[in-house]
Amino acid sequence: MAHRRPDRTLGPGHDEFWAWCDKQELRLPKCQACGKLAWPVTPRCQQCDASKFVWVQLSGRGSIVSWGTFVQDYYRGQMATPYDTILVELEEGVLFISNPDGFGEQDISPGMEVSVRFIDCEDSAGPFRLPVFCRSS
Amino acid sequence: MSKTAVPPTVPELSRAASIVGLGETDYGDDYRAQRNQPEGYTPPTPESLTKIAFARALEDSGLKLGDIDGLAVSYLYGGPSPAEVATMLDLRLRHTMTVHGIMAGPIPQVCAAIADGKCDTMAVVYAVATRSTGRTFGGMSAHPDEDAVPPSYYYFNPWGWSSQGAHWAFCWQHYRHRFGRAEEDLGQVAVQLRKNAMATPQAVMRKPMSIEDYMASRFIVKPLRLFDMCLVNDGGICFIVTRADKARDCAQPPVSVAGWGKANVKMDKLDTLIRQQLRPQCQAAGEQALQMAGLSLGDVGHFEAYDAATMHLVNHIESHGLAEPGTALDHFAAGDFAPGGRLPVNTAGGMLSGSYMHGWNHVAEAVHQLRHEAGERQTPGLEVAMTSLAQTDQVHPIIFTRGA
Ligand SMILES: [Zn+2]
Repeated sequence: MAHRRPDRTLGPGHDEFWAWCDKQELRLPKCQACGKLAWPVTPRCQQCDASKFVWVQLSGRGSIVSWGTFVQDYYRGQMATPYDTILVELEEGVLFISNPDGFGEQDISPGMEVSVRFIDCEDSAGPFRLPVFCRSS
Repeated sequence: MSKTAVPPTVPELSRAASIVGLGETDYGDDYRAQRNQPEGYTPPTPESLTKIAFARALEDSGLKLGDIDGLAVSYLYGGPSPAEVATMLDLRLRHTMTVHGIMAGPIPQVCAAIADGKCDTMAVVYAVATRSTGRTFGGMSAHPDEDAVPPSYYYFNPWGWSSQGAHWAFCWQHYRHRFGRAEEDLGQVAVQLRKNAMATPQAVMRKPMSIEDYMASRFIVKPLRLFDMCLVNDGGICFIVTRADKARDCAQPPVSVAGWGKANVKMDKLDTLIRQQLRPQCQAAGEQALQMAGLSLGDVGHFEAYDAATMHLVNHIESHGLAEPGTALDHFAAGDFAPGGRLPVNTAGGMLSGSYMHGWNHVAEAVHQLRHEAGERQTPGLEVAMTSLAQTDQVHPIIFTRGA
């Protein structure tokens, strides 16, 4: 069963990120001029202002930098509270906000190693696959 | 908000203008009236708040209505135009501005306009009816700003991650593991600011708060609690700002705008905020402001910083170099940041317990302190105060000095 989630940001560039997720691949736009990875997706490179990107596949591995549990219902019931959120530093250096899968805040310590997987979700634009992180074996 | 232009940080603009009048609305009384809704209660509007704040500021300054020849208005969530305000207040003006930005970010623009001869004496008005209009924060109410660089938190909605509070929760989680801190340690910040608010007649929250009360408050985004988060209330503030030479003849001791600085976060926003605690931006902008004022950090005797959350205030203090990284909470526990301590901080209770005036209240408190009129929370013999706005993507400090 697909999890209901608050709406994604869609549009040029953003759609491409989610299209790769549908194929269960975590890809981010890499600036062709300076090589910096962009996240969130931006129309221009924040480091050099160039606008040509190539979508590169990431290892999907990373480690937890920080985390927090949403107790207040900011999304008016769209997600059942409380739920956990994590900040993962991907191997390629990008900080990525996500959710833990198969573990909770009580299990987390700084630097804990995690790996991406994709879960079936839906928002008002339809079904999609969301990258979340499970403990690395 | 992040696009506010800052005038050049040159010595010629330092102390070119001074704050000579201050008017604030009754934050605490208005908050209680809004909650209790007594019979005949009418909720405040930006207009009604403006009228009260302006009338009080004018009276405080000892100036006459005809002396005001400039007007700057800042209505964060909408309000009347400068022309409408001028009509409402019966002002004849040479210069008007609509200024954006929180925490008196526009003050340097006002000083530059006065130094430029556009007007001599300007009323700077800010008002919000945040609570009465039922504004909510975070979640899907965080409207995408496609121009925001770097993109803001609305982007992470599909993971259920939103709100300013979540930023500071992640900051604190990272910080407390890095420096080995307990939840009670952070609670010291909330408890101290509540004490400060209790010594401030117009503050919203004046009920005593113990560390046990803090620990019993509910989580919002764990590990941050309700008492780690700023208030939401209505109010208005007006400053009367005039040319330095005119300021010397006014009723109140003038408070000069001595220096300012600004640094933006250009990329890697979460890393800058959570792991670097905005330190590069605080250092750069703080140095600009102090250099412009011809002062050093050691001259600062009172510090007011934008406290959207307890952890936010810790970030300011450590990143401006007012405490070594990882030590701010020890200093709070020791009373070093309390009124009468080594460096009093947010002495009117900030936005955590004082009033949610988007940092304009911090500037108002700097004025009270520099005039030496803050009563039991007064910093003895104060000459130099520093305010610091730091959002998730910019840092904007201002140095204020006593005298013109
Ligand atoms: Zn680039």
